[in-house]
Amino acid sequence: MTNSILEVQGLRKSFRKHPFSMQKLEVLKGFDFSVEKGKVTGFLGANGAGKTTTIKCLLRLAHPSAGQIQFFGENEWSSAVRRRIGFLPERPYFYEYLTGREFLRFYGQLSEKLKDKVLVERVDRLLDRVGLGHAKDRSLRNFSKGMLQRIGIAQALIHEPDFIILDEPMTGLDPDGRMEVTELIQETASMGTTVFFSSHLLHDAEKLCDNLVIMKLGEVVYQGSTVELLNKVDYSHELVFENNQSEIHTKVASSIEEVQGEIDQLRTQGFNIIEVKNKRLSLEEAFVNIAFGDKND
Amino acid sequence: MIKAVGVIASNTFREIVRDRILYGLLVFAVLLIAVSLALGQLSFKEQTRIAINFGFSGIHLSLVMLAIFVGSTLVYREIEKQTILTLLARPISRTQFIVGKFIGLSLVIFTAMVLLALVLLFVVLAIGFEMSPSFFIALLGMYFEALILLSFSLLFGTFARPTMSVVFVIGIFLIGHWLDSLNFFAERSKSDEFMLFSKFINTIMPNFEIFNWRAAPVFGDVLSLSEVAFALTYTMGWLMLVLSMTSLSFRRRDFV
Repeated sequence: MTNSILEVQGLRKSFRKHPFSMQKLEVLKGFDFSVEKGKVTGFLGANGAGKTTTIKCLLRLAHPSAGQIQFFGENEWSSAVRRRIGFLPERPYFYEYLTGREFLRFYGQLSEKLKDKVLVERVDRLLDRVGLGHAKDRSLRNFSKGMLQRIGIAQALIHEPDFIILDEPMTGLDPDGRMEVTELIQETASMGTTVFFSSHLLHDAEKLCDNLVIMKLGEVVYQGSTVELLNKVDYSHELVFENNQSEIHTKVASSIEEVQGEIDQLRTQGFNIIEVKNKRLSLEEAFVNIAFGDKND
Repeated sequence: MIKAVGVIASNTFREIVRDRILYGLLVFAVLLIAVSLALGQLSFKEQTRIAINFGFSGIHLSLVMLAIFVGSTLVYREIEKQTILTLLARPISRTQFIVGKFIGLSLVIFTAMVLLALVLLFVVLAIGFEMSPSFFIALLGMYFEALILLSFSLLFGTFARPTMSVVFVIGIFLIGHWLDSLNFFAERSKSDEFMLFSKFINTIMPNFEIFNWRAAPVFGDVLSLSEVAFALTYTMGWLMLVLSMTSLSFRRRDFV
């Protein structure tokens, strides 16, 4: 794929079963995928599919056993490449003895890119942007889970990266928190940052993602656009009708012709047709088909 | 490169300074100095000697405990709480991380030593101690020892749990203070095997008795520059060796 910000080829990762064992367990089984520039790509898979291990291999937090990883067209995991990437791990714990301001300043300084004055301004602006302007000088130990997640996203954005990787950014959040994080991701993407995030919350992924990468047992089983995936299965149609005692019934038809035939038949039997609905496959249903069904290309 | 190490070091310094364990250790050392003053009252003649002995022991133990107990959890806590993930995804190498952590805690140990030394100095000057450079050189010896112990704590902290790490480093601390006795008995034994064993242990373990200048201020001993220079070189050698091993061990690790 051209215009990709990340290209992965033949990624494999094995772990020893026990520290002293010669036997190895292959967790990532050699797969390819890419992430398109300027898009939001969801990284989906059931628990244990290998999403977090993949992300850790991408960021060299775990050493891949084999394969090639290219960020921005470069093979080398250089400082210049790292400066262009932001990362939020799953269930992040942060330095709770730091205040919101100190925390972002610390990560900003580590990115080596910013002058002090610029950094101070950016920290304040970013804290306001993630809705933590009121907690700038509060220590992180007094932050709620949602606030921690938001400051976690802020640390991933402090150096204005071109690409951010978020590992399960919505896990453990209440609906309000999830909505806030969703809005943050949308806002970040709208500013031109490429977003790659793993999730098992499919509703959020469906709402956010242009593209999807779906993993199953250490392999990538789908890669492509979200819309394409949802269109892979035909629409079905649901007829809602009532009898003369006002009891509501439903029927499903798979084609327009079948709908027409059903309507004619129901009317001759004295039923009133209330509604005909297009029933579209949800991402959840598509995901279950792929992740728990047979391998789908 | 240097900036990243500095940022990690200053954050480590802040982390420990905001931790209660540091103040627990400082209070312990100040109490020990206070006890030394009380004990000194028992013997007018030996008052200064007892005060300095107790005071130095308090400072020595505090620095050693800081190096062992805080040092052993320093890297482990980052791994356990997964804060390491956001750090190492940044443009910093694992070696820079280790060096930054080492420098951060070294600065805390140094600060603690200066504060405790000021308290001790205030006490011993009040009871008529005559100031000599060996007082400061004795402190320097304790600091060198704490630095070597800290490097071992970091090394074990990269692959072992803190309790295991503490046990290992306490072992090194004890052996490091018994090496002179081991050498003495090996020479007396006239057994080749014992001599060989003693040589082997001397090669793989640091000898902390070469930093033990704590009696010098009491007896007015003058420490030679070459003795101090040797101790400094010895410390640097051990630090380079152990920190390189720590870095190697840390670079191979998968954070899963």
